[in-house]
Amino acid sequence: MRWIWIDRFEKFELNVAATAVKNVSLAEEHLHDHIPGFPVMPASLMIEGMAQTAGILVGAARQFQEKVILAKIGRATFTRLVRPGEQLVYAARIVNVNETGAAIEGVITVRTTVGGAAQEVPVGSVDMMFSHIDQNMSGMKFPDFNFVFNSQFMELFETYRRELNIQIPG
Amino acid sequence: MKFLLVDQLLSLQAGKSITMAKNVSMAEEYLADHFPQFPVLPGVMMLEAAVQAAAWLVRSTEGFAHSIVVLREARGVRYGTFVSPGKTLVMNVEAVTIGAGASDFKIKGTVDGANAIQARIALAHLNLRDTDAAMAGVDAIVLKAQKERWDMLLSRSAVAVA
Amino acid sequence: MPMTQEEVYAKVKEVLTQALAVDAEEVTPEAKLSEDLGAESIDYLDITFQLEKTFGIKIPKDELLPQDLFSKPEFVSNGKMTAAGIAELKSRMAFADLSKFEADPDVNKFRDVFTVDTLVKYVLSKVNG
Repeated sequence: MRWIWIDRFEKFELNVAATAVKNVSLAEEHLHDHIPGFPVMPASLMIEGMAQTAGILVGAARQFQEKVILAKIGRATFTRLVRPGEQLVYAARIVNVNETGAAIEGVITVRTTVGGAAQEVPVGSVDMMFSHIDQNMSGMKFPDFNFVFNSQFMELFETYRRELNIQIPG
Repeated sequence: MKFLLVDQLLSLQAGKSITMAKNVSMAEEYLADHFPQFPVLPGVMMLEAAVQAAAWLVRSTEGFAHSIVVLREARGVRYGTFVSPGKTLVMNVEAVTIGAGASDFKIKGTVDGANAIQARIALAHLNLRDTDAAMAGVDAIVLKAQKERWDMLLSRSAVAVA
Repeated sequence: MPMTQEEVYAKVKEVLTQALAVDAEEVTPEAKLSEDLGAESIDYLDITFQLEKTFGIKIPKDELLPQDLFSKPEFVSNGKMTAAGIAELKSRMAFADLSKFEADPDVNKFRDVFTVDTLVKYVLSKVNG
């Protein structure tokens, strides 16, 4: 199981907002345990999808120089079960950001078919906060190098960056 | 790779509380990505452990009355210390209310006594046949699998279920 | 436009109830944000953002919580704040009651200074100039 919970960025506006999509597929192992007999996307992994969308948005806003980690989920609400074959859409917006951390508002929808017609319907919302952990003297031990925006991640991001022509200053 | 975020039942008080443990192991594949050279349990997996523990409390309290028990809302989720491979996350769940179709909990996860996660979570409980009578068969399949899993957790636990 | 203490308290209470996921009854003027209401580091940032939005004020870094003083060797010695540090703290935090901290300036206990009332007084000093 890879820990990549978004497949593609559709929109990316530096310092402002980003939208990423994720295909839900029976090829994914976790759906066979959640729930055996009736596969549905776990809410916790939808929160992670939003966290990855927003984390990259926040990271890019500061040229990936900070280690951006999820520190708080203010509120995450889910109103619909998401099934295999559907496509999740994560829309994240920066509400506030400073040297200590950032606040994000996220809306989750799903592209599905209802009565044979393609539709995008609401799934839920997630308000979350990221911490720039280098800036916080929380007493925790962590490595010096940027393990969050590591070389593996940066290669992945490079694809999106070129496709969407995202300009990261500096 | 199984999406089972609780390994052992440590204590249970029907209708009131449950404590479960999750061991973190280098064998968990997703750790290779989270993060390379600094493996730590992802925060949402701690939340999932809390949701799964709370769901077991719901199921055992209401006698497996509903096939689908899922997270409806999480509030005030704050993370403390990292959880590294070799460590055990002890998840304590206290019920605020457990109703017929919904429940509310205060959860706290610790590692060696230090706070890793705290949150309020609300679950929704439902049967698929409530919206579609034809799904009664699927409800039965889901419930059977859940009961088997619960029996396995109980059999490996020192807990006497009240 | 000037606000009364009651008006500020009501709004601060709303912000804290939401940010700390606590019940309204738990938020009293004497309640300590960390010890009584469970506030963590990230919550202080969340509260700062929310107070800025609710009251239309700007809270510059280290103004509400002078974190910068704690890394200066002349202000902290053996885990305790020095007399010079306390003096500096008093001038920076006129809105706060520092008497208990002054009696026992254990750096680890500094968060206890932040009660709901401390926040109310801080906001009042910002909105009423």
